Amino acid sequence: MTTTTAESRWMGGECPFAAGWKKVMMWVFIIGDAVLFAGFLSSYGYARTMSADWPPASEVFNLGLIGLMTFVLISSSATMAAAVAMAKSDRARAARFVWMTVVGGLIFLGLQAYEWSHLIAEGGRPWANPWGASLFGAYFFMITGFHGTHVLIGVIVNIVTALRTASGVTPAENVEMAGLYWHFVDLVWVFIFTLFYLL
Amino acid sequence: MSTETAMNLGVYWRTWALLLVLTAVMFFLDTLAMPRGIFVTVMLTAMMIKATLIAMIFMHLSKESTDLVVTVVVCSLGFGALLYELIVVDAGRIYQMMQGVFVR
Repeated sequence: MTTTTAESRWMGGECPFAAGWKKVMMWVFIIGDAVLFAGFLSSYGYARTMSADWPPASEVFNLGLIGLMTFVLISSSATMAAAVAMAKSDRARAARFVWMTVVGGLIFLGLQAYEWSHLIAEGGRPWANPWGASLFGAYFFMITGFHGTHVLIGVIVNIVTALRTASGVTPAENVEMAGLYWHFVDLVWVFIFTLFYLL
Repeated sequence: MSTETAMNLGVYWRTWALLLVLTAVMFFLDTLAMPRGIFVTVMLTAMMIKATLIAMIFMHLSKESTDLVVTVVVCSLGFGALLYELIVVDAGRIYQMMQGVFVR
């Protein structure tokens, strides 16, 4: 019977997701983290809709800089995907691709620090800003700060992964786990970039 | 380098190029004077296409089992939608309170 098959499949002894525990747990973490960002962006969307004087993004942000940040992060995601593809067959090249990802992450953080320092110099604070609705600063610093922290953690994870991959300590599977996290950071930026900087 | 690895790398570089093209198109559309409704719809569509490309190709979801894909997609989008719904209801209540209308 179909019911018996369905029950036995989820009662142990099988692998319903057809993936190792590391990958399943990484996806569980990513789902949790995605919901966290969804909460931030949802409340931002509501606050923005209800504010009469939400400042236009093009007047506050340097969109050329944001474009460069997006280019760097998407490119670093591509190099990380290449690292995962190479991890099983060529460890040295995989490590080089992870190092390129690290460089991309550091450039992104540098550009974000530059953006923040300019906005802070112009009077932008989490509790007040010269451009319009007071909540603008709160959401901007919270959401981009939270994402930036994720990038920083990703850079640290990738440095460890690169070192351990080059020395042959880390199995190829772990490069894939680091890659999943890094792609998630890129994925979140796609949402922030569109919802905060363009709309 | 094996043939499979070379093929995977080719797919990744094409995906990277496609993501950059989509980003460039979004920037270009941002410079045009479009009706707000159409602009928002186009931007959200492009955003979802980019997110799907990253999840399916870079994160290998397209190669995972259907059970894992359904779990990830339903949980992320479902909980996200639920969260949004709860926030809107709560925020609407706060807004009404600020307007001097207390609703139980």
